[in-house]
Amino acid sequence: MLDVLVGALVYSNLLALLAIGLSLMLLTCRVSNFAHGDVVTTGLYAAYTASVLLRVSPYACIPFALLAGGLVSLLSFLLVFDPLRRAGGGPVTLMVASMAVGIIIRYSLHAYADVMQRTLGVYTRQFVLSDFELQLAGLRVPGVLPLSSLTAAVLLVSLYVLLYRTRLGVAMRAAIENPQLAESLGIDVKRVFAIGWFLSGALAGAAGVFLPFRVISDPDVGWSMLLPAFASVVVGGIGSLAGSVAGAYVVGFSELLLSYLLATLGVSTAYRPLISFAAIVATLLLRPKGLSSLWSR
Amino acid sequence: MRGVEVLSFLVSTAVLYSVYLILASSMEIEYGELGLPSFAKAAFFALGAFAVGALTVRLGALLTGVALEGEFKLVSYRYATLISASVARNPALGLALFAVPLLVALPLAVLMGLAASYPALRLREDHLAIALIAFSESVRVVARNYEPLVGGTFGAGVVDFLAWLRSPWKELALLAVALAMGFGAWLVEYRISTSPLGRVLRAVRDDEVAAQAYGKDVARLRAQILALGSAMAAVAGVLYAFYAGTVNPDDFTVSRTFIVVLMVVVGGRGNPFGPPVGAAVYLLLDRGITLVKHYIPVPFDVNYLSYILMGLLLILLLLKRPGGIVPERPLLTLRRALPQRGSAAAPQQRGAEGGGPAGT
Repeated sequence: MLDVLVGALVYSNLLALLAIGLSLMLLTCRVSNFAHGDVVTTGLYAAYTASVLLRVSPYACIPFALLAGGLVSLLSFLLVFDPLRRAGGGPVTLMVASMAVGIIIRYSLHAYADVMQRTLGVYTRQFVLSDFELQLAGLRVPGVLPLSSLTAAVLLVSLYVLLYRTRLGVAMRAAIENPQLAESLGIDVKRVFAIGWFLSGALAGAAGVFLPFRVISDPDVGWSMLLPAFASVVVGGIGSLAGSVAGAYVVGFSELLLSYLLATLGVSTAYRPLISFAAIVATLLLRPKGLSSLWSR
Repeated sequence: MRGVEVLSFLVSTAVLYSVYLILASSMEIEYGELGLPSFAKAAFFALGAFAVGALTVRLGALLTGVALEGEFKLVSYRYATLISASVARNPALGLALFAVPLLVALPLAVLMGLAASYPALRLREDHLAIALIAFSESVRVVARNYEPLVGGTFGAGVVDFLAWLRSPWKELALLAVALAMGFGAWLVEYRISTSPLGRVLRAVRDDEVAAQAYGKDVARLRAQILALGSAMAAVAGVLYAFYAGTVNPDDFTVSRTFIVVLMVVVGGRGNPFGPPVGAAVYLLLDRGITLVKHYIPVPFDVNYLSYILMGLLLILLLLKRPGGIVPERPLLTLRRALPQRGSAAAPQQRGAEGGGPAGT
């Protein structure tokens, strides 16, 4: 049971890091970004490569993951989404483009994994990394639990401070609210959005560092987190940043706890993804504003 | 390459082309013409394939009086071979095993398509796309874990319904069946696109409220088109399963849907010639790279390169030529109608272009 709770908390931390970026990209470009899961994988391989080269723990390489994820996301904004947005592409066109971006990133990482395995001589597919263990209040917990919680908390609080306590944050929220008006007030909307995309990607990249400590990893692993992350956004209420974070913990815990409960009834845990898929469909149909309807009208 | 190999390469390319032509035609009607992101395509494609995977072996065993012993996932391939041997002596059995899955899959696909049109009325288009993708993945997750259906990750064996024909004729018969189905589906799409119905679909796509104001029942149109498109995808699934000789749930991922969308966008949304062009471009790229892969010196699996190239192609087209290779030509029917009606009707028709012209 402790394992399930630890797993749920770590998983929810990572979902929160993804979901808030997905929300930010929905708000800035109205794109449901299907490449965001592959940005996670980019962070994973960046940190893994750095840790092998520098001979340090992957945890120490989180800055590389932040940078790699941020840059990939920024490039996708500058080269694909911003031009398409300006050309008047609808949300579905942008979504299709994001699937293409995702495929380019994913298969580039597949190619990179081959090269990395050959040149560095480490496993780059179907691998897990061994974690250290920690005594916490008399319980043995894996190191990924406090570290992922700390990372998520620090990054999410920083993002909050940036958005609500700095001039850049005010500019970003203004640009989201009304791009034309913001532009006429002298805000460089493209620059502000680009910063938003870099931050979204950086958060996703950071999430990637923790994945190999929990699941068997390969270049497809981030993609498999994408739909649960979308579930978090939808459950939290599309367009609400705080909702996405709340949604991530609701989705993460219900996935793990429900599948644990069902497993005791003899249902295979392999059906676990169905919980978040069902959450997407049910929330959209029954309560399209999700959790955010609890605190805003 | 020997003659036999060339023949089998050509046949497999043509059959795959037909499968993708059916899928792209259905996506063209739904997404290209009506603007409905029917991104559960892989699930409807899977439905046809699952009907074949779940039924041919069981039905064949029933009809030949063989008792199935053992778990389905472990024995389906063995029994498929056994029943194929019976089909070799009895062509009627082969035809029955081809027809029954098709007759089971079609009504199911129509019903599921109608069910999918329920959220289509209520959700914004991108939310609908995400909901349909989630639904599509759910189907795959269930199929790969519920082993009695099509053997889970083991997959299911498929009876060779043409086992009664000898080698070159067998391939040619499969080729004929596939091409007939592929171009039949494309003809349906072509007829719809160039008919008054096609104009209504594009009118709904461009301005739903205006189309409604002209008295078009948007809800019914969506239900009809989704039912039709889903049925077409199921036909493609049946064909694909018989071609592949096996059914594996993990074949029906979101990537499969994406490839079909790619064909429609690359070919040209809203142009009836988009699907055949898009499917050809995809297969040329995919098969072309398979053919020359031994000559490309890269330190990784070359197949990754074909995915990367396809992604790049799609993005470049969206940026530089959003209409696709053969862009939409909205005046196709109008130009044909003009000489008969005289030039006086032309300005009126042209004026009504965006909002559902009165032509039905």
